[in-house]
Amino acid sequence: MRMPKRIKFRKQQRGTLRGNATRGNFVAFGDYGLQSIEAHWVSARQIEAGRIAAQHFLRRQGKVYIRIFPDKPVSKKPLETRMGKGKADTSYWAARVKPGTMLYEIAGVPEDLAKQAMARIAHKMPVRCRFVGRRLAV
Amino acid sequence: MTHQTETPRIEAERREKVGTTYSRRLRKAGRLPAIIYGHKKTPVAVSVDEKQMLILLHQGTHVLEMNVKGGPTETVLVKDLQFGFLGDDVVHIDFARVDLEEEVTVQVNIVFVGQPHAATQAGAILNHDRTSLEVICRVNAIPGEIRADLTLMGEGTILTVGDLALPPGVRAAADPGTPVSHITFVKKEEEAVGEEVEVAATGDEPEVITEAKPGDEKDTKAKGSEGSG
Repeated sequence: MRMPKRIKFRKQQRGTLRGNATRGNFVAFGDYGLQSIEAHWVSARQIEAGRIAAQHFLRRQGKVYIRIFPDKPVSKKPLETRMGKGKADTSYWAARVKPGTMLYEIAGVPEDLAKQAMARIAHKMPVRCRFVGRRLAV
Repeated sequence: MTHQTETPRIEAERREKVGTTYSRRLRKAGRLPAIIYGHKKTPVAVSVDEKQMLILLHQGTHVLEMNVKGGPTETVLVKDLQFGFLGDDVVHIDFARVDLEEEVTVQVNIVFVGQPHAATQAGAILNHDRTSLEVICRVNAIPGEIRADLTLMGEGTILTVGDLALPPGVRAAADPGTPVSHITFVKKEEEAVGEEVEVAATGDEPEVITEAKPGDEKDTKAKGSEGSG
């Protein structure tokens, strides 16, 4: 699963997910993309599940780009533990996803195949998604 | 390669009231806010028909004859587009005044045609590094699209900007060696699917760069004991 190689601090505060994505909100590398229309944390496990679902479906065709990276450590207290005694250890890593964030991109496959692959990824995501193509360029 | 034979015409209306509220009202009414600037004249805030404009943009139109109501007809170049929060709906357009003989730099879409020989081999993946190309040409010679013939790749695995057949009077702004399309090979399916699993096995925890290393900790303890003794 994906996670940072080097970090500055072991634990982070939770923060908030306000507003829409202003960066990474269009298809930049591939031909088609899967865009989030909700805000949520997407865990490294979910990102990996999406990647595997797409690559198993596409077999050796095309290229799958992952546009999000889980750089946020999320801590969780062990079961049957009393409250207090400080912040718990990191349980998993998550990517912060806002409405508009491009989650995955696919290149080198026809539209119908890309659509089917993206539908399989969307099932693994904790957010509602939509299938998009490249936007207009001038 | 397709050239635009005739400059499309579009009707525009002057915007007397500008700002977010009035722009939103215009969009609700099916019009698109825009601005015309350039050639050392005062900028004019206008609005155009959204449907008509989007059709033209999807056709790859760059230059327009804009007839502003109650004003002169101007030749304009689509300079910039602003998109909504989902990144694909056009919310505002910038037009720059141009002369037909003026030289400009514009992005032109690349249309890929043909199948390269190397792409037919097992495990070959055809990747397009760029889907549009920045070209420098006269306003009246802007191509609607650039056709990239992938069969020109021959036995090779890379197509560069230099390999593209550009129309006369059009030159690429990018370096001729810049890749447009390339072919990569996947050796084994298992490798491609399981590549991320290896990463997980090797790196369980990331390195914390601000934390003291074990060697440093000993030193500080030793110093502390010396001080107390």
